[in-house]
Amino acid sequence: MLRKRVVTVLTLNDGTLFRTKLFRPDYRYTINFVDAWSIDEIVILDVTRENADREKFLNVVATFAAECFVPISVGGGIRSLDDVQRYMAAGGDKVVVNTGALERPELITEIAEAYGAQCVVLSIDARKTDTGYEVMGAFGARPAGKDPADWAREAEKLGAGEIMITSIERDGALQGYDLELTKRVVDAVGVPVLTLGGAGNWKHMADAFKDAGVSAACTQNIYHFTETSIASAKKYLAGKGIEVRA
Amino acid sequence: MIGIIDYGLGNLRSVAGAVRKLGYPVEISADPARLAAADKLILPGVGAFGDGMRNLTTRGLIEPLADMVMKQGKPVLGICLGFQLIAEESEEFGRHRGLGWIPGRVQRIQPGEKGLRVPHVGWNDFTARRDCILFDGVPADALFYYVHSYHLVANDNEIVGTCDYGGPIVAAVQRGNVFGTQFHPEKSQRHGLAVLKNFLERA
Repeated sequence: MLRKRVVTVLTLNDGTLFRTKLFRPDYRYTINFVDAWSIDEIVILDVTRENADREKFLNVVATFAAECFVPISVGGGIRSLDDVQRYMAAGGDKVVVNTGALERPELITEIAEAYGAQCVVLSIDARKTDTGYEVMGAFGARPAGKDPADWAREAEKLGAGEIMITSIERDGALQGYDLELTKRVVDAVGVPVLTLGGAGNWKHMADAFKDAGVSAACTQNIYHFTETSIASAKKYLAGKGIEVRA
Repeated sequence: MIGIIDYGLGNLRSVAGAVRKLGYPVEISADPARLAAADKLILPGVGAFGDGMRNLTTRGLIEPLADMVMKQGKPVLGICLGFQLIAEESEEFGRHRGLGWIPGRVQRIQPGEKGLRVPHVGWNDFTARRDCILFDGVPADALFYYVHSYHLVANDNEIVGTCDYGGPIVAAVQRGNVFGTQFHPEKSQRHGLAVLKNFLERA
């Protein structure tokens, strides 16, 4: 049976691991964590806002990839197949697209045709509105004029292999995932859905699997990054009848 | 030296990194002469079947590889798309001929149960159907990482093991010197590395 995934998302700003609580970056520690314990997959995103030095970012990706034997999805600023080629060459197994696909949806198809649909993860950032939800591009700053479920459905048709849905309001809030938003996307598509934004405890992750039907629960906060917490998350989830990899 | 076949697609670096980690010299190459010098070959893969075959063709690799693998008996391991390319044909984005090193066809996954999503992404079991050196010493409950929308339909006598995703999905095959895994050993942590090591040491 396919296991539910617990995925760690790392956000890098100008080549530095960026955390909301400003610890000093320590890649070695992170690499050790990643390979020794039971994280299922890693997503590495470049969130540098301006004048991004991609080489710096890709060097960090390459450092990870050299010692990391779980799948790595890489994203941030991808606009073309050339970008994809560079991100994959740095050690990515999949790429994550967001604003680039909003600007030019056919980017999804181009990647899917060249690398296969399973290589394209569409990331959707959404915020609540009075009437529902709205997709936001450009690091959550620019309204895209799309409904998240509609955009997910369209992206699946264009060739996206997975959808990662992030609630902008819940990011860093530790109050739980936005299950309604997540479920809308899960119900809209036939590809796996990952949810991100808001996990503060293991129950939140169980809720995402049980109530929203996600394939993967993503966590970003670095405090998850200890041996005992990952192990205890999986133990908790297994205790709730959710099939996870030990 | 282990030769990793570079056909312009795939996570070559991940595979090379894993082989290196296991202590073997490795060369990523599209040059038939360099690949001929390798003790063993790995055909990795991420991508679409048609593109894979086209790239192998335009790089002039089809005949030399067939010679190395089918005539000289050089051990080869196909991974994911590479595993599918060793079959006879695929229906991914139209009908395509494969390398034909083992009998079989590649078809889209049609999950039998409700709620199963395609692509099949994540950690799943491996159920052995018969002994194969690739899995020597690998525990029966080991999980491996799969990511694919198409799967290989092979003959029973070449199937080494399966995983379950709305029905059995062929997870590994062997025919003589030709080995293949649908899952990514280079991305399946210690059990994946154990499978890779078995190929490198014992195939």
